[in-house]
Amino acid sequence: MSNPSIQRGWKAALLRHETLLLLVVAVEWLYFNSVGPRFGSVDNSFDIIRHSVEIGLLAVVMTPIILTGGIDLSAGSLLGLCAILFGKLWRDAGLSPVMAGVCTLGIGAVAGGLNAVLITGLRLPPLIVTLGTYSLFRGLGEAITRGVDTFTNFPASFLFLGQERWLGVPAQVPLFLLVAGAVWVLVHRMTFGRTFRAVGFAPEGARYAGIPVERRIALAYVLAGTVAALAAIIYTARLGQAKADAGTGYELFAITAVVLGGTSIFGGIGSVHGTLLGVAAIAVLNNGLVHARQPREVAGMLTGLLLVLALSTSALPKLLALLRSHRQTVNPEPIKS
Amino acid sequence: MSAANAPLLQLSSVAKSFGAVRALRGVSFDLRAGEVHALLGENGAGKSTLIKVITGAHQPDGGTLAMDGGLLEKLSPAAARKLGIACIYQQPALFPDLAVAENIALRLESGGALRKVDWAARRLQAVGLLERIGADISPDAEVRSLSMPEQQLVEIACAIGSGARIVIMDEPTASLTRKEVALLFAVVRDLRSRGVGVVYISHRLEEIFELADRVTVLRDGQSVGTCPVSGMTEAGLIKLMVGREVAQLYPPAEGVAGQVVLALKQLGCAAGGVKNVSLEIRAGEIVGLAGLVGAGRTELARVLFGITPADSGEISLNGRSITVASPQDAVGQGIAYVPEDRRRHGVILEMHIAQNMSMAIHSRIFPAAWLRDGAEARLAQEFIRNLGIKAYGPQAPGGSLSGGNQQKVSLARWLATRPKVLILDEPTQGVDVGAKSEIHKIIRRLAMEGLAVLMISSDLPEVLGMSDRIAVMRGGTITALLPGKSEAHAVMAAALGQNP
Repeated sequence: MSNPSIQRGWKAALLRHETLLLLVVAVEWLYFNSVGPRFGSVDNSFDIIRHSVEIGLLAVVMTPIILTGGIDLSAGSLLGLCAILFGKLWRDAGLSPVMAGVCTLGIGAVAGGLNAVLITGLRLPPLIVTLGTYSLFRGLGEAITRGVDTFTNFPASFLFLGQERWLGVPAQVPLFLLVAGAVWVLVHRMTFGRTFRAVGFAPEGARYAGIPVERRIALAYVLAGTVAALAAIIYTARLGQAKADAGTGYELFAITAVVLGGTSIFGGIGSVHGTLLGVAAIAVLNNGLVHARQPREVAGMLTGLLLVLALSTSALPKLLALLRSHRQTVNPEPIKS
Repeated sequence: MSAANAPLLQLSSVAKSFGAVRALRGVSFDLRAGEVHALLGENGAGKSTLIKVITGAHQPDGGTLAMDGGLLEKLSPAAARKLGIACIYQQPALFPDLAVAENIALRLESGGALRKVDWAARRLQAVGLLERIGADISPDAEVRSLSMPEQQLVEIACAIGSGARIVIMDEPTASLTRKEVALLFAVVRDLRSRGVGVVYISHRLEEIFELADRVTVLRDGQSVGTCPVSGMTEAGLIKLMVGREVAQLYPPAEGVAGQVVLALKQLGCAAGGVKNVSLEIRAGEIVGLAGLVGAGRTELARVLFGITPADSGEISLNGRSITVASPQDAVGQGIAYVPEDRRRHGVILEMHIAQNMSMAIHSRIFPAAWLRDGAEARLAQEFIRNLGIKAYGPQAPGGSLSGGNQQKVSLARWLATRPKVLILDEPTQGVDVGAKSEIHKIIRRLAMEGLAVLMISSDLPEVLGMSDRIAVMRGGTITALLPGKSEAHAVMAAALGQNP
């Protein structure tokens, strides 16, 4: 009934968005390579990757949540809590790093499950629930350590995960690629992704289509909790210590990366590869500015600018759809009032 | 006509179309000062559109509006309010978190945002207005804490306070108890004695006889008659409301109904307002579910589909008692529901029609939860062909289709589940004439293939033309079971709760 080239809609827009973002990353890279003599070295590239794996993990699993129209503000706090609990299990409970890691993953899943239960069971908005658990998780971490306890002196075999190379790349990279790949498959090649989008576009519509809306939302949050625990372990291995303030503010970096990557904050539209590009754009910018001898504050400003630009393009298809639906209201009268 | 003896409000051949749908096709209506003029008509006859024209929410495409003989042009809602036209909707539009006095003040006061607020005067004004309509409501009460009828009374207080000369009431008694109705009627009579013209809309015929001076009947967007209530009978009014030929366009029923597929025994759901529903639907049978808006038809469908699960009674499918606690249960059991609000519930507008069609059968066409684009596209192609869906392909977003084609996509999604029972809720609402008859043919074909069909419709000719049997709902339960070849006025009478 109207122009199919406009109607073809969000997929094409997303494609354009991701191409654009790839261009942004490339331009960043070329620019910093020309001003910072050591920027383009292999060592620096690995440094960028090492520093972005934890936020990258949070961002990758934030993507399905935002696709469902939700948000997870508790991710950074949960990372902090899991780091503390990991340290506690290893040092005070005497578990091996592997066993402690497995238990930490379980704790992360339970914490994600708490978010899920509050959101689906009590039908509270995700923003409110995760704002609450944002304080709760951080507060628990501080209570356990009384704000001063720090876990250090991890064995070298554990620190390997965060500081050494494996298969020629930083050791955490294969793990990150595994998680990112799995989530990509979940979102883009399996029915789960389809239902995440359906819930994000129209939660009631999805319910009327027989989709188990609550179970799908729960899956997204439990996945996010588990992977936040993994990020906590990698974080601890990278820095060699676990403190209660670990991962402070990471949730905002993760959300920024997701939105920058073209995922609509209103839900429904978005991709995991877009998120990866968003992480890359932020990571390269932050690292490059150091090499270009610019103050750190500039990085924050430029990230903000990028985000606003990204938001205006990601809101566009939704706005168009909205305008269209208003124009198309042909119902003669709202018969059922 | 001089202003002195001109009617308070005069509408002459007012027309209004929405796209291809002609909601009003030349309505003439007049309201005198100091009268209660009832407006009557089936669902979809054009009452709401007419109100919106009078309140300035819609601009008519043709015809004229005049007040006291003076032509009203380009009426806006603000201008209408200034002229003294007030409308009290079924759902009061008050601010729930503000006090009654504040709500009244918001409607009546004007002036800049920086003016000084005289709280005492506000309160006094509210007390005075509430007293005048005999409402026992504290001006300090939060509107959230008031019952629906109390909120309506606040609305009326606003209307009186603003010196309204025309008050429109849209089904004001729909949610009131008998005692509250009596209070409301006293207020309406008081308004009348003060020379206010009241347009009164109600489905309850007895109220119209009790309260109104004159009545105008709308049908298919036209006024079919205005007459004094005193000379009318209920039967006469019903005849005016439905008095059209049932077109012979409906596909004929063939074959005989088979085994009972769906049986409901004393089914109820307190939360959904459904009680004591007993009904049987056979294979190959279309049961039309008629009734007025609010009679509980959609609510019954929501119970059968597990959105608001039943809390009493029994559902049997093919003689076996089943539990439907969620839509997933319903789908698993073979109950499909094509919802009424297709833009919100029926189709996800942003998603492709292929994705929409496969949505209820993920586990069947996507083994191991793995997307298979080829299988999905084939499914879509098949339905696009079978149902004659006009779209540029399986990849077309749902929102790009016309209403009729969206409805077919919604239908396809549920046919893909290979259901035993198909519930259709207003299957042709807002659908153009051509698509409507196509959808009717599809429904009949499905029934002939052995499906048990429950068709909710407010379109009386559709119910009469399509149904093998007609169940009429009123007040959350089925009050009458009529044969498919019933007379229109018999169905309408049952829906209105009159004895034919």
